Amino acid sequence: MSPPVEIAGVLLRGVAIAVPWFAAFLVAVYRRQARAAGFLAALVAVAACALLLVAAPAGESLYQALMLLYSCLTLGATLVLPRRDCSPGTVAGILLMLGATLLAYSAENLLVLLAAWIVSTIPFLIPRWFQPRGWRPAAALLLSAAAFALATALIAAGGHALTIDDLRGKSPGGMAVFVLLITAVIFRKGILPAHAWVADAAEGGPAVPTALLLNGHFGALLAAKLIVPLFPVTPGNLVPVLSNLAMATALYVAIRALTENSPRRLLAFLALSQSAAILAGLESGTAEGVTGALVHWFVVTVSTVGLFAILRLLEVRFGENLTAGKHLGLAEHAPRLAVFFAVFGLALVGLPGTLSFCSEDLLIHGTLLSHRFVGLLLPIATAMNAVSVFRLFTRLFLGKRRTGFTAMADALPRERWVLAAGVLFVVLGGLFPNVFVAQRSAEVAAARVIPGVSPVSGSDRCRR
Amino acid sequence: MNLSQAILAFVVLAPGVVFGVLAFLWLLGWVPGERIVSRITGATFSACVLALAALLWKLGAGGENFAGSGSPAVVVKFGNWFAVHDYHFPLVLMVDRLSLPFLAMTVMLSGLIGQFSATYLHRERGFFRFFLLLHLFSFGSLLAFAAGSLDLLAAGWEIVGITSVLLIAFFQLRTAPVENGLRVFAVYRACDIGLLVGIFAMHHWAGTAAFDSGFPTLTGAEPVTICLLLLLAASGKAAQVPFSGWLPRAMEGPTPSSAIFYGAISIHAGAYLLLRVQPVLAQSALASSLVVLTGVVTAIHGAIAGRASADAKTSLAYASLTQVGVVFVEIGIGWTSIAVAHILGHATVRTMQFLRAPSMLHDDHQMRSAIGGEMPHTGPRLESMLPEGVQLWLYRWAFDRGHLDTILDRFVIHPLLEVSRVFAKLDHIGSLPARRGKVAILVPDPARQGGD
Repeated sequence: MSPPVEIAGVLLRGVAIAVPWFAAFLVAVYRRQARAAGFLAALVAVAACALLLVAAPAGESLYQALMLLYSCLTLGATLVLPRRDCSPGTVAGILLMLGATLLAYSAENLLVLLAAWIVSTIPFLIPRWFQPRGWRPAAALLLSAAAFALATALIAAGGHALTIDDLRGKSPGGMAVFVLLITAVIFRKGILPAHAWVADAAEGGPAVPTALLLNGHFGALLAAKLIVPLFPVTPGNLVPVLSNLAMATALYVAIRALTENSPRRLLAFLALSQSAAILAGLESGTAEGVTGALVHWFVVTVSTVGLFAILRLLEVRFGENLTAGKHLGLAEHAPRLAVFFAVFGLALVGLPGTLSFCSEDLLIHGTLLSHRFVGLLLPIATAMNAVSVFRLFTRLFLGKRRTGFTAMADALPRERWVLAAGVLFVVLGGLFPNVFVAQRSAEVAAARVIPGVSPVSGSDRCRR
Repeated sequence: MNLSQAILAFVVLAPGVVFGVLAFLWLLGWVPGERIVSRITGATFSACVLALAALLWKLGAGGENFAGSGSPAVVVKFGNWFAVHDYHFPLVLMVDRLSLPFLAMTVMLSGLIGQFSATYLHRERGFFRFFLLLHLFSFGSLLAFAAGSLDLLAAGWEIVGITSVLLIAFFQLRTAPVENGLRVFAVYRACDIGLLVGIFAMHHWAGTAAFDSGFPTLTGAEPVTICLLLLLAASGKAAQVPFSGWLPRAMEGPTPSSAIFYGAISIHAGAYLLLRVQPVLAQSALASSLVVLTGVVTAIHGAIAGRASADAKTSLAYASLTQVGVVFVEIGIGWTSIAVAHILGHATVRTMQFLRAPSMLHDDHQMRSAIGGEMPHTGPRLESMLPEGVQLWLYRWAFDRGHLDTILDRFVIHPLLEVSRVFAKLDHIGSLPARRGKVAILVPDPARQGGD
């Protein structure tokens, strides 16, 4: 890459990260026009990330694409937030998370990644900001940050450079660092046995910001950016442990979701189960599995943020004690929200015609190739998740019409356009997946995203 | 792309495009009238029927390929839907002697159902929704029947499943159809695991899941494993024992959708899958025997359970089940041509019976008037030859539909839900108290309102 292009890249990254933080500061101090400020800052971040993606070399665009995706989600969130929730504190918190997440995606240094990791959690640790009720979310976030910080300290103490490129393949710090990094992933991502905090956060915290926190996928980022490249040959061959735990999590929370009646907790379980498959795919070591995991990352992110946003819109309109324990018949009052919910929900679990059909197909192939029996858990978990999604849809939207009120707004235009954009993404991605899959596949083939992965496909490997 | 290929692509894609356009316009706020919707539907399926007729004429005129060898007559390759190194998902449509009758059956019956429903569902809430789903279902069926690979067949298969469930829950203001839709969806998804893993196994062992190139000879336990996985999927879709319990539940949907789904197309999709993989099935005597056994048990079950059904649609559904069981037997034995002919005849007659079911009383009155008295008895029933105790036992067995749902509930669903509840208890250690919302407009809160 030529120096001017490199400088432009650094500048664009700086703009994408600094503008949201500056806007967050302004909103927090002046406390006016929060939605407009948030929208403009997110828009600038989207533009900068789009330029970064355009300028990225072929086969090296994963993190730029993820930055663009997260910026777009935040942009959508600033529009779709109900008026009741759109306080200066909320918008400032969302913008702070946006900057931190973009910093994490673009980090090339362990200390920078650690700083972004910590900053992204700050709003969830401060009471009366985004902190959920209960102790588990804060404990999990703190423990994950502590484990990551300790791992970084051990690497530094070992005399290694802290640049990720310099650490590739060196297994810095050996077993201790590896275990600490795995611990950080387990706590941050909500992998069994540290899964319960995710549902607590969704239940007791603000819906949209929590969805954004979960869909930063910092756990998967740590696995993709550090664990797999830094530890190609793991001490004690422990990487499959993470994969097996991820598959166990996918199945455990899928079973757990079958009897859950709180819509927020149920959605959190579904998001967790589906996103655990990302880790399993990343670790599978097959081209299909890793590519499927990367594509799934995008689908899960868009679908779950969309579902949480719709749920919040329903809560604002119809009351906050919605339940999946009985039929509420909301489709009569909000048919378009019902359709958006159905599409996002089914997109999360692999409906044909959506991008997740492709990602699930690749993930199932990849995981079955690498772990014949553990891989079977993925289609089973996905089937159960599909039943839970459909149950939630039928309970919320179908059934006897309520007569307690006469009229209630369906999706407002600003909400409709944002949700329609999300639906278009998953549907167009499903109709023309190769545009998307080919890029991720090229990144895997070039072995630049995750060097631990052989560019030889899994099918090939097995036939030999 | 030559004319035959263009026709095939048009026939498969037309209902899908109509669905996409109508759904998109609705999302933008347009609500079309009944007349427009029924005319669009009529025009779409008429065009598809004419196009297929032209294709058949063209193939008959110069297609030695079609009449003679087993290779497909028309193949349309759109490239790969997606590809990762040497794993491809090919977008290939094809017509051969197996798929053409199914395609013709689908477009003709869909058009017929469209015309029937325009009157039958007149002024019904959800008229537009029904037609949207009819188009989506037709697209899914055509995609499954014209698919050139198992991968693409699975895509069409899933679309058929989800439209089927949404139509069962068509009368959304009543709880029973919605709950039954959920039950059917759960059975479909559980059985579709067999399809997904079977496709993986096919890729893994055979190196391909495409139909046009034929399947290679497999060795050892490979063919039986693949066939058993696909039999699981086929049994779920075709309501074979032990999954037959969902069929009477599916009768909650409107009669036209029951006719096309459970009298004609969806119920036969499982048989089509087995016909499609017949070359693999023929490699395993064990798998073929299991297909025969499944068919025999289902046919007997359907014949007995149908006799204790209290309503016309459920009786017809069990009659369908019996015939599909016989079709499975034919496939297991290897009589594929007879199976195809059986499916076409059965689908046509059963659709007619389903569509006449709402007029059954009227028909009966007319016949009585015509003959001037009671209808003659049709002779002694076979079960009357059994001892009385066995008759009673059989009645109870038939009345509870072979106890299949009870067994499924007791040994699969309840244990799974129990495990889920145990997990919930584990998760609740140290968790939050239940959420209390600020506003309770919609759902009365018993704690605040003094109980419900």
